[in-house]
Amino acid sequence: VRSSLETLSVEVIEARTETARIIEKSRRDEWVARLARRGEVIGPVAGPGGDELFRPLTSPEELLWEFKNPLYPPKQFLLPQVDPIVAIRRSGDGIQLEPIADDRPRILLNIRSCDAKGFAFLRRVHAANPPDEAYLRRAANTTVITLACSTPCPLGFCICCDAGPFLDEGFDIQLTDLGTSLLAEPGSDRGRTLLAEEASLFRPARPEEIRRRFELEREATRRFGPETCHFASAMRRVSTGRVAEALWDKMSDWCVECGGCNFICPTCYCFSVKDRRENGGWLRCRTWDSCQYAAFTLEASGHNPRAAHGERVKRRFFHKVSAQHYVQDGMVGCVGCGRCVKVCMGTTDMPAVVAAIRRGTWNG
Amino acid sequence: LEARDGRLVGVAPSENHPVSRGRLCARGWNAHEAPAWGKRLTQPLVRRRGTLVPAAWSEALDEAASSLSKMTSSGRAAGVLGSARATNEENYLAARLARRALHTNRIDSCLRSTWLPFPVRGTFDDVERSDAILVVEGDLVRSHPVAAHAVMLAVKRGAKLVTIGHRRTQVARLAALHLPVAPGGREQALCDLATAERTGDGPLAQAAAWYAGSARASILFAPGSLDSARAAREAAAIARLASTTGHLERAGSALLYLAARGNLRGACEMGIVPDPADGAPAFPAPRNVSAGDARPPVETIIREADALVIVADDPPAILANGPLALATLQAKECLIVLDAFMTPTVEAAHVALPIASFAENDGTTTNLEGRVQRVRAAVPAPGDARPAWEVLVELSTRLGLPSTYRSPKDVLQEIAGVAKDYAAAAAALERDVFGTLLPARRDGFDAGGVPDPKDAEPGPRPDGTTATLALDGIFDWGSDPLFEHSPTLSREHRSRRRLFPRGQVEMNKHDADDIGVRPGWMVRITSVHGEAALPVSVRDDIERGVLLVPYAFRGPVEPVLGGEAEVAVRVEKSS
Repeated sequence: VRSSLETLSVEVIEARTETARIIEKSRRDEWVARLARRGEVIGPVAGPGGDELFRPLTSPEELLWEFKNPLYPPKQFLLPQVDPIVAIRRSGDGIQLEPIADDRPRILLNIRSCDAKGFAFLRRVHAANPPDEAYLRRAANTTVITLACSTPCPLGFCICCDAGPFLDEGFDIQLTDLGTSLLAEPGSDRGRTLLAEEASLFRPARPEEIRRRFELEREATRRFGPETCHFASAMRRVSTGRVAEALWDKMSDWCVECGGCNFICPTCYCFSVKDRRENGGWLRCRTWDSCQYAAFTLEASGHNPRAAHGERVKRRFFHKVSAQHYVQDGMVGCVGCGRCVKVCMGTTDMPAVVAAIRRGTWNG
Repeated sequence: LEARDGRLVGVAPSENHPVSRGRLCARGWNAHEAPAWGKRLTQPLVRRRGTLVPAAWSEALDEAASSLSKMTSSGRAAGVLGSARATNEENYLAARLARRALHTNRIDSCLRSTWLPFPVRGTFDDVERSDAILVVEGDLVRSHPVAAHAVMLAVKRGAKLVTIGHRRTQVARLAALHLPVAPGGREQALCDLATAERTGDGPLAQAAAWYAGSARASILFAPGSLDSARAAREAAAIARLASTTGHLERAGSALLYLAARGNLRGACEMGIVPDPADGAPAFPAPRNVSAGDARPPVETIIREADALVIVADDPPAILANGPLALATLQAKECLIVLDAFMTPTVEAAHVALPIASFAENDGTTTNLEGRVQRVRAAVPAPGDARPAWEVLVELSTRLGLPSTYRSPKDVLQEIAGVAKDYAAAAAALERDVFGTLLPARRDGFDAGGVPDPKDAEPGPRPDGTTATLALDGIFDWGSDPLFEHSPTLSREHRSRRRLFPRGQVEMNKHDADDIGVRPGWMVRITSVHGEAALPVSVRDDIERGVLLVPYAFRGPVEPVLGGEAEVAVRVEKSS
C-alpha cells in the first residue's frame, strides 16, 4: 500500500481504521511496563559517551523514543556474535550432544523499519532447507514492534531497498508517532492479539489519524539524504559477470578487511563454529565471521579459493546484489540502513560499491 | 566489550568515540575472543622439583618475594620487564617495584627500543583533514588500520599521499607518489627529502613541494627496523622536514609516530625504561628516552638479571632471537611471571601469577596520539586470577615497600603527581569517558639536530652478492597472545606456520624468473655471516634485488642476518 495520499482509497482507510489502535503518549510507559511482564523488553537506550544502544530495559523511562538508529544492530539479540548452540559432554565411552534452546520471550521495541526488514530476510534464510532450529526458535519467541521513521536517518537509503521508512509487513506492530499519541498498526496475529489484550490502554484509530500516518510517510520519503543505491543495474552487471576483475582489485585496495560491514549488517549471517571449554565439557558456538577475512574460506589443505582480496570483495557483493541470490532470498541483501557507510574502515560501503559497479569505475 | 551472564559475547562499536568513531579493525571486532577462548592462567603456579604445580596465592607470593629478596641480598642482579600489553598503572607499579623494592635500574620492555624521542603532535582527525600526507611505512593497513583509514579518507578527499617503503603495500598503491627504497634505505631517502630543493625536478622535490606547500600536512612514521640509533636519525630527519616547513608548530598538521604495540608509549612514559648509568636508581624515572643515548637493549637485561620479574609479556615471541630468549629464561635462577595467558615464558617460570586480562581490568592506557583512555572490566577474571595492580602491590609490600593504594585510580593519582602531563589527563578522566589527549611531546627532542646524510650511505655491495635480505616488520602479531588465542584472528597465522614450517622468503617475480624458481621452490641464501635454504614466495609488490622474510619467520634466516637489520646476499636455486 505504497499509495500516495491522493489515491489513498476509502477502503484502505477503513481497513486500517478497523485494525489500528491509538495510545496516548502519557500512557506509553504503562504499556512498556506491561510488555515487560511478557518477556525481556529490548529497546534503544542512552549509553555512555552519548552512544545509543539496544539494551534490555531496566525501566520503561529509559526507553528512547527519539534516537539515531544505533550502529550496533538489534541482530545481536537473534543472532548473537557468540551463540552457544550445542553442549558437548563426555559420557562413559561416548560423547553426549545436547542442543541449547533459547526460548526466552523477547520483545524488540522501537526498532526501525530497516532492522525489521532485516529480520524478515534472516527468517527466510534460516527457514530454508535445512531449517536452522536454533535461530527459528529464538525468532518465534521474539515480538517485533517497530517505530516507523517519520524522519529518515542521514545516511539511510531504505527507500531503495523497499525496507522503509514505513513498512507494510514484517512486523508484529508498527508504531507511528502522531505527536501526542502513537498509532499502532498490527502486522501479524501476534500483533493483533497483543493489542487486543491491552485494550484498556488503546482506543480504535480515527480515519484522520490513518490519513496523518500516510501523510507522514509521504513527507518522510521526500526527506532522504544523499545516499542512494540503484540496485537494478548493478544487479544486471554483477549477475552476468560484467564487472571487470580489475575493478574488484582496485576497490579491494580501499578495504582494510575489518569485517565491520558484515558484523553490523542486518542481513549478514555467515558464521564460524568454535568449541569452547567450559565446566569440564565443551560449548559449540556459532560466531560471527566475515567473508572479507582471508581465512574465511581457507581450507584445511592450506588452499584458499578466495586468496586474492579482490575475490573476497567480489564475493560479498555477489551475495548481496546478484539475481541468483535475489531469487533465493526474495530481496537484495541490503535494507538501506546506512550502517556500512558509518562503520567502513575503508571506503567500500554498499552505496559506494554499487555506484562503482554501475559506472564501471572507482574513484576511492 | 559485550558481556551477558558474566561471559564475553562480543564487541559493540562506539560511534562517539573520538578515535574509532564506531570503526573497528579486525582485531577490535574480535577483541573478546582471546580472553574468552584463550588458554588462560587461572591459578598461581609454583615450581616444585622441576614442575609447575598449583599453589595458594599467599604461598606463591611468599615464594616469589623470598626468592627475589634472597637473590638481591646476596648481591645477585635483579631485573623487571613491564609491557605494552599492561596498563599505565601496572607499568608504573612495575617500575616502582624495580627501582624502590629491588633497587635496580634494570627495567625495560620488549620493543621499548623502538619508542623514540619524536615530537608527536596532532591526531588521526588531523591526518584525515590534511592536504598532503607522508607515510613512512610499515604496512599501515596491517599494522595500524585506524591510521590507514584516516589516510584513505584524506586521499579520497583529494590529499596528495606520498609513501616511502621497501614494499608496494596497499597504502602505497593509493599514493600519488611512492618512493621505493631498499631495506635500510629509508634513512637516506628521509635525509634527502629533508634537504631536497622544492623547486627541482624528480620525485623527491615533488614530495617535498607537496608537503611544504600544503596548508595542513601530516607525517605518519612507522619504525622500520629494530635498530634504534637508525630510527632516531630517521626521526631527526623527519622532524627537520616538519620544522623547516613550519608544520612542526602548525595546528592541523599531525606528526605521529606509529608505536609497534598498543600501550608502548604509556609503558615508556611510566618509566619502563632502563637507566644506562650505574648508581642509585632514580624514581620517578625520567619520562623520555633522549636522542642518541646508549641504553642497553632488553636482551641485555634478560641475559644479565639472575632474578627477573616479567609483567604480562612473552619475550621469546617478540624478540629477534626468540629461541635464545627462551633458553635464557629457562636458565634463570629466579623467574617470576605475571600473565593472563599460558605462554612459553609462563611455562619457564618458577612462580607464575595469574592476572586479569584487559577484559577484566581497570586502569588506563595511552595511545600513540597521546590519548589517555580508561580500561574498564567487562567481566570478572577467571578462576583465581587477580588484577595485576593488586599482585604488584602485594609483591612490593612483601619486599618491604608498602603502599596505600586501594584502586588503580589511586595509582593514577600518584602518577599525576610525578608526571605533569598526566595530571590534567587524570583529572579529565573523571568527566570524559573517552579519555584526554596529553599535550604535544617536545621534551627530549632536538629539532635542530641535522642528520648527516653521508652517515646513511650504504657501502658498496660485497662481491658476488646480488640482493639485500631483510626482515619485514618488527613485530609478529600472530604470536601476541591477544591474537594467537583468538580463534578468528589466529587462523591465517597458524595456517601459514603450518604450511611453511621452514619459513619463507619473498622475492620479486622477475628475480625468481632469473634464477629459475617458482613459488614454493627452495632457494639458498648466503651472506658473509652464514647461509640458509628456504621456500620462496614470488611477489609483485617488492622491488627487484630485495628479499624479505616476514618477521614471524625470522628464525631460519637468523644465521644469514647475523644480527644485522639487512645484509647483502647471494641467492640461488637450491638443488
